[in-house]
Amino acid sequence: MHTSAIDPPGIEWQRVSSKYVTVRLVEWAVGNLLLVAVLSIPLLFVLLGGWQFPPLWLAAIVPAAMFLLALWRLVLIPRQVRAIGYAERDEDLLIRRGIFYQRTMVVPYGRMQYVDVAVGPVERALGLCTLKLHTASPGTNALLPGLPAAEGARLREQLTARGEARLAGL
Amino acid sequence: MDVNRDRPAVDADWHRVHPASPFVRGWVALVAVVVFFGRDIFERALQGRELVDEGLNGRILWLLAGGAALLLLTVAGFVLSWYFTRYQLSQGYVRVNTGFLFKQQRQARLDRVQAIDIVQPLLARIFGLAELKFEVADAGESAVRLAYLPIEQAKQLRATILGRAAGVADGAETAPVPEAPEHVVLSVPHGRLVGSLLLSEQSFFVVLGAIASVVFSVLTESGAVVLYLIPAILGLGAAYWKSFNKGFNFTAAISPDGIRLRYGLLDTQAQTVPPGRIQALRITQPPLWRILGWYRIQVNVAGYGGNPGNENAARTTLLPVGGMGEVMQTLALVLPDPGTPDPYRVFAAAVNGLDSDAGFTTTPRRARLIAPLGWRRNAFLATGTALLLRSGRWWRQLVLVPHQRTQSMALSQGPLARRFGVADLVLHTTAGPVVPRLIQADVGEAVALFDQQAARAREARKRQTSEQWLAELSRAGSLPVPAPLQAVQRPANATTTTQEEPRNG
Repeated sequence: MHTSAIDPPGIEWQRVSSKYVTVRLVEWAVGNLLLVAVLSIPLLFVLLGGWQFPPLWLAAIVPAAMFLLALWRLVLIPRQVRAIGYAERDEDLLIRRGIFYQRTMVVPYGRMQYVDVAVGPVERALGLCTLKLHTASPGTNALLPGLPAAEGARLREQLTARGEARLAGL
Repeated sequence: MDVNRDRPAVDADWHRVHPASPFVRGWVALVAVVVFFGRDIFERALQGRELVDEGLNGRILWLLAGGAALLLLTVAGFVLSWYFTRYQLSQGYVRVNTGFLFKQQRQARLDRVQAIDIVQPLLARIFGLAELKFEVADAGESAVRLAYLPIEQAKQLRATILGRAAGVADGAETAPVPEAPEHVVLSVPHGRLVGSLLLSEQSFFVVLGAIASVVFSVLTESGAVVLYLIPAILGLGAAYWKSFNKGFNFTAAISPDGIRLRYGLLDTQAQTVPPGRIQALRITQPPLWRILGWYRIQVNVAGYGGNPGNENAARTTLLPVGGMGEVMQTLALVLPDPGTPDPYRVFAAAVNGLDSDAGFTTTPRRARLIAPLGWRRNAFLATGTALLLRSGRWWRQLVLVPHQRTQSMALSQGPLARRFGVADLVLHTTAGPVVPRLIQADVGEAVALFDQQAARAREARKRQTSEQWLAELSRAGSLPVPAPLQAVQRPANATTTTQEEPRNG
């Protein structure tokens, strides 16, 4: 498991399902390929319709650069998914993510106001779900994607039970 | 009409707000209707001509009839909305019913109160009325707004709600709760308020803009530039006026019910924030204020929400402008137990200090390339009760988060920060102007703080169990004497001589 300097020592990280890579791939395709296609339209017109304004090099370089960027993002996806981890401790839940921009977050059970489980169409096909924890702070962006549905349900019940046991005010 | 004028607001009966309320709230609509339909007649009356223009051949009557009908409808709507708005205080809940077509019933738990405000807009003030706002932790909208009540009744209701919420008054009791005594801690003199506005960041840009426009008009040899500036001047004047109106007569007081803030020139507002409701606090000092050693204090309170805006900016301001003495007093109100044996020295170092005096841990020296100015200033210190985060060399800033108020935390590190071996720690708190963030701390220190802070927050939460703050205190056998104030007795006598304080250069 990927750990780094900003992770507290001695944590046994749980990884999310590797099937989550597929979800990310679909998201990537929808976002990036569409963008590249739209950016390629001027190139098409320059080549076929004889547009004068964008010179050929400009019409070609913009979608090409975007395509390279998209490829770079694509290559990163499996590593990013492997970098997502969570760990249930006695009093709080730790969530980590990121390779270049890393983030490790701690959410105390007693601070949880509610827990969301969301399932998108691709996730449903793969039997995955996304867990989201809410505290009284809008800054708590505790998202745990790519959990197997059973693990998501277990975690939700577990978190709710622990939250109730340790419920504190604000 | 007023069913409860002589009786204090006590249990179980349903009460109505003052019958004049809808008119005070909706007077603009009434005036608009009258002006729209009656302007012609007024003008004629003033000019001494006949009231009705013959040229209209009686159509004027229809117009007037229409106006009267609209007026009647508006008034009827007002009366109905007043009639169907009722509130009740019982068994630990406040309930409000509103609406006659679309009914709404709302109830809020008294012990969930985050803050109570009594607001008096100018017109309401003339009639001796006030609006009561009851805030729960639901960022933004007030849970309960009662507009308008006679001011005495509003105060009485506030005392009752706070008494119940604090746990001193039993829910079964029907006797009104006396208002808690209060002790004025500090007030902002008018001169200082004006000075703070003149030295604000806004003024800096005003002066810059004025110089630019003068230069421009000299260069182009035309005076027409001044004409274009008129809207800008009007806008600025309005902004200054708003700040002045809001900050006028600012008074902070302590009472067993919590911190009381009062301010306003034309519209007055009185806020009560019960103890322990402040989620985070920020002390800032714009560069120009350093000349006179002034500071501003803002807070996050769960009920006030985070939407920016002039009204909210005023509500989240705990001290609009004050010297070091006032800052210390305010800190003592917010943090009765500073958790350190020498609070004055620690907080002074936190507000003005550099480097590691008073035990602060700064950004490591190796990171001075990415924080050339800030590395000696960025620092943190955890006392027994709160975490202090210091930053900003020119725009000095200190953020204070009580341990039991930490919601969640995140450590983050980008590629550049990793290269220099530093990391950021963000503490999540409720919505508001304060965003606690420790920047560029040594990785080892940050990770250690991350772990320790989670443990400290846990311990602090265990100690504080009850939402009923006075019940808890009376069980412990100690009265909420402002013990914190003892810690600031020393700086307290400096409050009257703020201007002569040593300059914090």
